[in-house]
Amino acid sequence: MDVIEHAPIFRLPFFFWPGYVPDHVTYTWLVMIVLAGLAFAASLNVQRVPSGLQNFFEVVLEQFQQLIDDVMGPEGRPFLPLIATLGLVILSLNLLGLVPGMNGPTTNLNTTAAYALVVFFSYHYIGVRAQGLGTYLKHFMGPVWWLAPLMFPIEIISHLARPLSLTLRLFGNMVGGHILLAIIFFLMGLQGLIGWALSGSAIGAVVGGLGGLVMIVFTVGFLYPLKILVSFLQAFVFVMLTMLYIAGAIEHAEHHGSEPHPAHH
Amino acid sequence: MRRSLILAGLAVLAVPGLALAQAPAAESHGGLIGPYSVLVAGFAMAFAAGLCALGQGKAVASAVDAMARQPGAAARIQTAMIIGLALIESLAIYVLVVAMILLFVQPIK
Repeated sequence: MDVIEHAPIFRLPFFFWPGYVPDHVTYTWLVMIVLAGLAFAASLNVQRVPSGLQNFFEVVLEQFQQLIDDVMGPEGRPFLPLIATLGLVILSLNLLGLVPGMNGPTTNLNTTAAYALVVFFSYHYIGVRAQGLGTYLKHFMGPVWWLAPLMFPIEIISHLARPLSLTLRLFGNMVGGHILLAIIFFLMGLQGLIGWALSGSAIGAVVGGLGGLVMIVFTVGFLYPLKILVSFLQAFVFVMLTMLYIAGAIEHAEHHGSEPHPAHH
Repeated sequence: MRRSLILAGLAVLAVPGLALAQAPAAESHGGLIGPYSVLVAGFAMAFAAGLCALGQGKAVASAVDAMARQPGAAARIQTAMIIGLALIESLAIYVLVVAMILLFVQPIK
């Protein structure tokens, strides 16, 4: 794994454990500063007819709102800030890994676990706030009371598996692509081929130059577009699953809240 | 006949492990676990990728079929397909994570 990481940028005085700022935190700070700066610049001079940066951000946010309306319906509108922030941040972090010399913070398990935990706790909070603790817990018990001892552990495990799968999906996809790039670049001998091409011998220039050219064309023409596609797709999937979880936490309320009432009264 | 074939296959599988284990026997942490973990990581990823491809192919086939029948609902079908693909793919990603733990972290030596 040394191939796809580099030495930490910021070092700390010795009394701060562990003595340095990990790189994924540094790059996350970078993305935070850039995104916050862009958002601030876009909202600095808001006009009725948008232009420039404000126009761009309005288009992006309208796309998110369209997505929320499609998946969650109009009651999903209040969660636009959470969902759009998650989407923009994860997309930026994914794309940052494609800049040569930089690490994508999403290739570190800690980053993805942090976002997955944010999603986990927030959708439970939203569910509890929407329908109260007792009603929310009742959904874990299953449809009939004598199934509750069976359903409760299953529901708990399935809810605990959600942040795990969110974490590992994003992490595995991003780090798998990075290992692929690293293998193509370093283990298949791009350095050796380029060195051969520059060594001065005629046959070395032909073989090494051609081999290096093929490898670079393959990487830039095929692997990079693939990785850009995967970056967008994984951010989309993360946001989409977040919306589904929140919609599930809210929707239960209407089902159980509205259906038994006509039957009882 | 079949049993001898299986034994021969197992022997072929075991040879690289033995050969790898015996070369650096002096500084090795001991045992076949290191070489076998490399072998297992590769085979696990191969099986996972193949079976995941079968599952995703089935999902994509029926999604494309549905989109061809009802082009009006293509956007919703595509969204559902992408979510399903992500959920199927995450199983192969689990195997990838396990393989990477076996290769890079090596908790058992």
